[in-house]
Amino acid sequence: MRSKSFGWILAALLTCSGIGIASAHHSFAAFDTTRQITLTGVVKEFQWTNPHCWLYLTATNSEGQPEVWQLEALSPNVLGRLGWKKNSVKAGDKVTVLVNPTRDGTHGGALISLTDASGNKIGGRN
Amino acid sequence: MAASCSTRMFAAAILALGAGLAAAADGPPARPPPVVVKHGPGPSPARLPNGKPNWTGFWVPLGGLLEAYRGPSGVEGVPGGIAVNIPHVDPTAPEMKSPYKEQSASMMQASARGEELSSKEALCFPPGMPKMMVMVYGMEVLQTPNIIALSSEWQSATRRIWMDVKAHPPEDELEDTYAGHSIGHWEGDTLVVDTVGVRPDVSYFYGLSLGHGKTHVIERFRQTAADILVDEVTLIDDDVFVKPWVKTYTYHYRPDLHIQEYVCLDNNRNVDEQGKSKF
Repeated sequence: MRSKSFGWILAALLTCSGIGIASAHHSFAAFDTTRQITLTGVVKEFQWTNPHCWLYLTATNSEGQPEVWQLEALSPNVLGRLGWKKNSVKAGDKVTVLVNPTRDGTHGGALISLTDASGNKIGGRN
Repeated sequence: MAASCSTRMFAAAILALGAGLAAAADGPPARPPPVVVKHGPGPSPARLPNGKPNWTGFWVPLGGLLEAYRGPSGVEGVPGGIAVNIPHVDPTAPEMKSPYKEQSASMMQASARGEELSSKEALCFPPGMPKMMVMVYGMEVLQTPNIIALSSEWQSATRRIWMDVKAHPPEDELEDTYAGHSIGHWEGDTLVVDTVGVRPDVSYFYGLSLGHGKTHVIERFRQTAADILVDEVTLIDDDVFVKPWVKTYTYHYRPDLHIQEYVCLDNNRNVDEQGKSKF
């Protein structure tokens, strides 16, 4: 019954390493984690909230029109331990983000990294 | 066995990540940095006045989320990401009996197709026993002679182990709860905990509820190093499994961290009524 090839890796991720915690709250199936896109724009709002932090970013599309992207991250208890602060990002800040975009083309994604206007990467563990 | 499981499977996961990255065709994400676990002292003093091991403090899953950086979304460098809720694909699990066997297979197939499975945790319910022992972010242990409290930062769920209670309530007085009713005793330096009375709708893994509330959980907690605590969990459920299911969780003492508040209902904006994500 049990698919070893399917189960082994996923189970290893979840049961022993704890890496699978990205899905501890809800699935990240909406995001295409095989793709990464870069967006530069102005922060509309940063929600420092459980169970997920959200960055609303206004970026200009190829036709010169502004678009608001909704970018999801983990929770403050994780980000805070990675060097983020509740005011690391503020409305009006110009930032560049790396994102796993949504699969359905909605303007949103999972936030992979964020760099401020001075070129400083926020958070991380090096 | 516990440590070897954790070590072996973690190594396998890391190798798999590397293999997956190499195989990705369209711009694979950067390879995640290797997990470096810095070992240190355990709780101090090592023993309580009653002579029992002192485990009071904050413990995180060894090599877990707070020790393996995966970017602000937790998916950086994971090929394919953690794309679906993982139902119950655990190679340590024994074979199931009908109808759970068929339910399990159906859910695995749906998950393999990329379908998302429902999750009560996504609706902010407590994970319950035994899944809460995954702990995700970390676990705070508080010990008194008569009560040992284990709090999961994930979902702010707490269970209490009654050390001065020798038997569970009679079945007709036992209230089904997420954490169940846990009584404990020491066998040398091993804490043995017996749990019954877990709610029928608590799932072992995402989405799979056994639905009868008859699972018996026996745990054996022991330190394998000053800063390592292992929980060997045995699930006994003759209605569901052909034999007991033994699972192991390993925790790392992190005195530099403290448990934090986590209120899932604060801004739970992108899940539907079934606990599936929506965007």
